[in-house]
Amino acid sequence: MKAIFGPPTRQVVELLTGLRDFSPAEIDLVTSAWRQASDVDRAAAWAQLQRATTEDERYSILAAASVARRTAMDLASELGRPDWAFWAAAWDAAAAIAAADRIGGAFDVLTAPLAAVMPSLAPGGDAERGLSRAIPVQRRSDVASDQGARP
Amino acid sequence: MISRFRQLFESSPDAMVIVDRTGKISAANARAESLFGYPRDQLRGKFAQTLFPGQSMGLETGGPQEPAQASRQHLVGSRSDRRQFPADVTLIPISTKQGTVTVISVADITEALRTQFVLELGFDVLESADRGRQALLGHVIRAQERERSRIAADIHDDTIQVLTAANLRLQQLRHRLRDPDQLRILDKLEQTLNLSLSRLRQLIFDLRPSNLERGSLAPTLRAYLEQLSSDTGIVYQFEDGCTGRASAASTRLIYRTAQEALANVRKHSRATTVRVQFLEVSDGCLARITDDGVGYDPSEVEDRPGHLGLTLMRERTQIAGGWCRIESTPAGGTTVEFWVPLARTPHQPEASRERVA
Repeated sequence: MKAIFGPPTRQVVELLTGLRDFSPAEIDLVTSAWRQASDVDRAAAWAQLQRATTEDERYSILAAASVARRTAMDLASELGRPDWAFWAAAWDAAAAIAAADRIGGAFDVLTAPLAAVMPSLAPGGDAERGLSRAIPVQRRSDVASDQGARP
Repeated sequence: MISRFRQLFESSPDAMVIVDRTGKISAANARAESLFGYPRDQLRGKFAQTLFPGQSMGLETGGPQEPAQASRQHLVGSRSDRRQFPADVTLIPISTKQGTVTVISVADITEALRTQFVLELGFDVLESADRGRQALLGHVIRAQERERSRIAADIHDDTIQVLTAANLRLQQLRHRLRDPDQLRILDKLEQTLNLSLSRLRQLIFDLRPSNLERGSLAPTLRAYLEQLSSDTGIVYQFEDGCTGRASAASTRLIYRTAQEALANVRKHSRATTVRVQFLEVSDGCLARITDDGVGYDPSEVEDRPGHLGLTLMRERTQIAGGWCRIESTPAGGTTVEFWVPLARTPHQPEASRERVA
């Protein structure tokens, strides 16, 4: 796979796939988490991201953020939840994932609202370690039952 | 169960073979026959390794009875006519009474790789075009600033001087006129001329605010907000929490971006209030401009050409090593938020600065 979004392209693609499965209630949860979070902390996290990355890296990071924003925006509109805090949260999280391990604590700040629905984004979660899939909470049970059904 | 497995095995869209502990094929499905070009009886007894010559498949042969984990790899398959093809190969070890056997599933990914190649080529073209667009926008921003300065200088050095001279001549004319009707006409003419001069001075201020050259961002923006409020009736709140000393370039950039956002408030928002906040965050200035206007649907507006203002705001901050977020929803007002470093130095990431040191 071409590293369209830099080395963590796979994680970004997984985030995009996970985003498409959000329910209206999950969008509300993310929206509310994003609005409750400190905008100063968020700005500081973005400042850290700017400082820790080169211009070329930022190109991939912003590409990831833009695609995630658009995906979230389309889904929100489809589900009748046109609150921009949701796609702002997707923008933040995708940028953090694309910046990978270079931004330290800023990762948790930027991914926290989406982590309310995607536990793999939470501190110490799979996405932070770059290992596994970002699957929404209720999807995990789907996956578990799928696996259970296999011969 | 066994008959169900056989049914699944036979009807699989992927080529499947079963390999015994010695690495020899003991069964193959119809798709394996067509993919590798061998009839089933020729595949049986063949070493699976010969289908992927010169490559390690990681087959467990003659090893322990406990099956290893399933694995997946990309290999090059070889057909009976020696033609090769890229293959997605999955090895699934299964424990049986006779020992461990391995089910090998093979998918020809020639088409998938071709599609991927075309997509990647398309992406490269898009990326190259986008980088070109960014470079062009950078030129537009710099040219815009130069042009603003040039127009402001031209207005100051030429148009305003001509109008001032015309005003002086009107004063001279006043001394010669006695007729009250003519004097009234002269009054009107003087008023119009003074109004023109005042508007041109405002235009110069908008194009090249003199306070900005001295690094006074807050007073300059307050003056702009006052003008906006007096022109439109929009009530403004301004909180300046950015006390750090910004470079002239940063000051200009913050002002220009805020000015662009406020120009949109004036032109499009139908807002009654606008709130401007500056906060010092991480050695930079976080600016937030929020209005309570009609907002817009970003998915609709961003797809339409002709919104250079929004694009330039983003590009301007990014060129300065900052970021910009412009968000809105219909009937939900608009928020423009951006952060730029206060001391504008050539941008270099921390990691590479450390390396240089």
